[in-house]
Amino acid sequence: MSDSPLEFDLDEVSPRQLIWQRFKRHRLAMVSIVFLVLIYLMAGFCEFVTPYGTETRNVKAINAPPMTIRFVDEGGQISLRPFVYGYDMHVNADTWMREYTENTNFRYPIYFFSRGERYRLWGLIDTDLHLFTTGHKGYVHFFGTDQLGRDLFSRVFYGARISLSIGIVGVVLTLFLGIFFGGVAGYLGGIVDRLVQRIIEVLQSLPTLPLWMALSAALPVAWSSIGVYFGITIILSLFGWPVLARQVRGRFLALREEDFVISARLLGASRMRIIFKHMLPSFTSHTITTATLAIPGMILGETALSFLGIGLRPPVVSWGVLMQQAQNYQVIVMTPWLLIPGLFVVLTVMAFNFLGDGLRDAIDPYSANREAS
Amino acid sequence: MVRSSISVITLRVILLPVLVFLKIAGVTADQAVLPKAWFEPSRTASELGITKFSQSPILSGLELPSVEVRLGKDPLVVSPLADIGRYGGTIRITRNEWLTFPNVESPMTISADMRTILPNLAQSWQTSPDGRRLTLTLREGIKWSDGKPLVSDDFLFVFNDLWLNDEFDPIPRRMAKGGRAEKIDDRTFYYEFENPNPLMVNYVAQYGSFMFLPKHYYQHFHPRYVEKEMLSRRIEDLGFISWMEYIEACRRQLIEESVDQPTVDAFQIVERTPTLARYIRNPYYFKIDPKGQQLPYIDKIDQQIIDNKEVIAAMSATGQLDFSAFELKTQDIPLLKLGEQSGDIRVLIWNRLHSSDVVIQPNYNYPDKRLAKLYWDHRFREALSIAINREEMNQIIYFGQGTPSQMTAHPSSAMYDKQFASAYADYDPARANFLLDALGLIDTDGDGLRDYEDGEPLTITLEFVDWETPKGISLELVSIYWREVGIDLRLKLVDSSLQSERAQANKMQMTVWHGDKVTDILLPISPLWWAPIQSGRENTLWNDWVRWRQTNGRLGVKPPPIMTQLQEWADEMYSTIDDKRRIELGKKILDVGAKNIWTIGTVGLAPQPVVISPKLRGVPDNGIWGWDNRWTLSYHPSTWYFE
Repeated sequence: MSDSPLEFDLDEVSPRQLIWQRFKRHRLAMVSIVFLVLIYLMAGFCEFVTPYGTETRNVKAINAPPMTIRFVDEGGQISLRPFVYGYDMHVNADTWMREYTENTNFRYPIYFFSRGERYRLWGLIDTDLHLFTTGHKGYVHFFGTDQLGRDLFSRVFYGARISLSIGIVGVVLTLFLGIFFGGVAGYLGGIVDRLVQRIIEVLQSLPTLPLWMALSAALPVAWSSIGVYFGITIILSLFGWPVLARQVRGRFLALREEDFVISARLLGASRMRIIFKHMLPSFTSHTITTATLAIPGMILGETALSFLGIGLRPPVVSWGVLMQQAQNYQVIVMTPWLLIPGLFVVLTVMAFNFLGDGLRDAIDPYSANREAS
Repeated sequence: MVRSSISVITLRVILLPVLVFLKIAGVTADQAVLPKAWFEPSRTASELGITKFSQSPILSGLELPSVEVRLGKDPLVVSPLADIGRYGGTIRITRNEWLTFPNVESPMTISADMRTILPNLAQSWQTSPDGRRLTLTLREGIKWSDGKPLVSDDFLFVFNDLWLNDEFDPIPRRMAKGGRAEKIDDRTFYYEFENPNPLMVNYVAQYGSFMFLPKHYYQHFHPRYVEKEMLSRRIEDLGFISWMEYIEACRRQLIEESVDQPTVDAFQIVERTPTLARYIRNPYYFKIDPKGQQLPYIDKIDQQIIDNKEVIAAMSATGQLDFSAFELKTQDIPLLKLGEQSGDIRVLIWNRLHSSDVVIQPNYNYPDKRLAKLYWDHRFREALSIAINREEMNQIIYFGQGTPSQMTAHPSSAMYDKQFASAYADYDPARANFLLDALGLIDTDGDGLRDYEDGEPLTITLEFVDWETPKGISLELVSIYWREVGIDLRLKLVDSSLQSERAQANKMQMTVWHGDKVTDILLPISPLWWAPIQSGRENTLWNDWVRWRQTNGRLGVKPPPIMTQLQEWADEMYSTIDDKRRIELGKKILDVGAKNIWTIGTVGLAPQPVVISPKLRGVPDNGIWGWDNRWTLSYHPSTWYFE
């Protein structure tokens, strides 16, 4: 406490401010939230952030390794503008390997906020402005390229848009289902409660992966990519809600007998009003924590399905799709940079878990006390 | 060896124009490397004056008749690639090679020139002047691995008792229709047909290994030779439902009982478990080397049963297999070459015979009339074809070593014309867009993809099985090229049984297969890529027109005149006894095909990696790989040996 003096009067501290104070002390959670905000921003603006589209092929760089960003050139001259050296590709007649050597004669400076490929941001704004490009000549591949010569850096962020949004959309759906069923069961009790409980038990006793597989294999072939995207999201959330529903039900059962609920009821408030105005807000923080911790499950679910080849399909790019293309022995031996999407999955999932931890500790006063003591 | 392959490739770079010529006449280039004897009818011991015979040491001490007795009167002499080999060793392969490594014997075989038919089990054959009868004379003294002689009845059994049996083959196969097999004596028999069938000889040469079985073993499981109740009891005891099922499983070496059947091949199966098959040399094998040593040189085969292709590629690269090729692809070459540096394997680069590795097939009879009509429009097919950048595909997938091509005959074929291969094959997206615009396919909803005139999105779903050739990666590129001109192609990977099912039910909008049956041996029998004569899982272009023809108009849909014309030409090509006329008809069919782009080809004649143990000798550095010549048979695997 002593090293973080409060800047406001203790009497006026709102619960929200208290939570924020406690949260700030959780360093990993702070790092995570910065990381997540960054990556969500990049995913949201991926057309702008990345230099190329998902299908742009560079025949001069097929299976090319990541490029090094340089500030110092061969002659030892320091340049403030970062640059990369172009690749010389040479198919080794002996090994049939595409060998790449940096050619110092081809120096491609990286320009920021420069013009490049045309695209439509969110399908609306027609522009060719990119965060960075190498101008009209040359190419830059920070993460290397895949077997069709496509820029992996670009594909990772386009993939992030899909994978990360599936996490959010899926969790919103889960929340909706969980609160609805949990709330109904907890508030009404009786036969409804028992029915919902049995459904939850059945759903929880089923192994999720085979079930996901069966359901996603049943998605019609002719569905558009957007259809498949929502199909997968719905499948993932269909099996995510029971946990939340249980918790919501438990809370409702406890809250039902609380004084403020009883007084609201005695004052003649309607059921809906009691549920939505009085009961739900009292454990919003708890719900948010649960939701945060559920997002990585969704992301991993999508990744797993796509990795197995039954989730999203090209041309849609997601992290799972990218990893599916990297799932062979050759990649590990010859083009390990194609595993970079896996690194992003790991980092994102960890970040969400740390964030969830931080939130839980911040919200739960007891855990905070424990940490403070 | 490594040095020679470098020089070959350097040569290719320097002499590019020469290379084009060599590719067309690729066969002549190969002949220089392969022994001349492989292109001529094999000679016999008496013709070469060989009188002393010897056998592998593992056979001595066994209770067997002497090698002279076992070899028969006048064994066949096969020259090895270079040096005379030595006996011994166990070769480690996977089950997937079951038709490529063990020498599979046929009445006749196909020479490495891909068009000459050479004698093998049969010493001679004759087609009657009217083309209705093919008479075969078996070599004297050939024995099954149990010592019983190979006789005409073994051939008659398969043709008359299996193929013409409506329990075994409910729908008679094309080659058995209207035919029967008759015996003249124990070594002479003929196939006779109602209509002229002069290409039966090609069929026997290519497919002949499946055209005979040891009757003295299999007759115990056939209703014609066993009393019905006893048969069903016997089959039941073996754990099978029907006799057909048992014969099929036993013949294909899928069950433990398979070890009971004798063979005339170089190796006989002696152990079969779910994960392993073991073979040992056939002591009665009928071939010898020029020194009088009985072939094969290698004593044993260990076959592992592995389904996963990744695992097979990894095993091949790390020297865990002594011969591996069937499941390897062009893109695997760098990985294999990396493995080669460790010295545990050698990587040979053969050429696949497929004129196009991927044959894209629009389904002209697809139930959705609007899509079928679009396919039938020449402009649409042309647009799809020229939207593909084949040169780029060649660079990306094949290291520039393939040949961009439409689906046409193999360069070794007398029907080959390079204009057929290059028709509508040049990349021209501007013209593709122009043609699609002219068809009224405009992007109305602004998603960058074309829609029908009434605004309904145009989508094509392509279902495919990813085996033998690099289909997955090729199609990924094709879908990108097509999307660049606004065509929404959706890919769906299916397994082969599902593909068969959906092909038969006519449910696929589009599919692909690899372009084999392109040599003079098979093309005249089944020009299936260019005329509606048969359909199945590999060909789903025109099910209804094929059915119409097969049922004489009872089922299916009446084909348009051009298709009827093609069917007639195909029939005539199949039945004419005039070879010149056949080539002329073949060229006509291919010409119409090239002009009409019935199918869309990509890149063909591509490098095929063949991985062998560095100790394995006698394998040519260069060969042609594919179904038409049964992969390795022109290169005599029985003469391969361990150093």
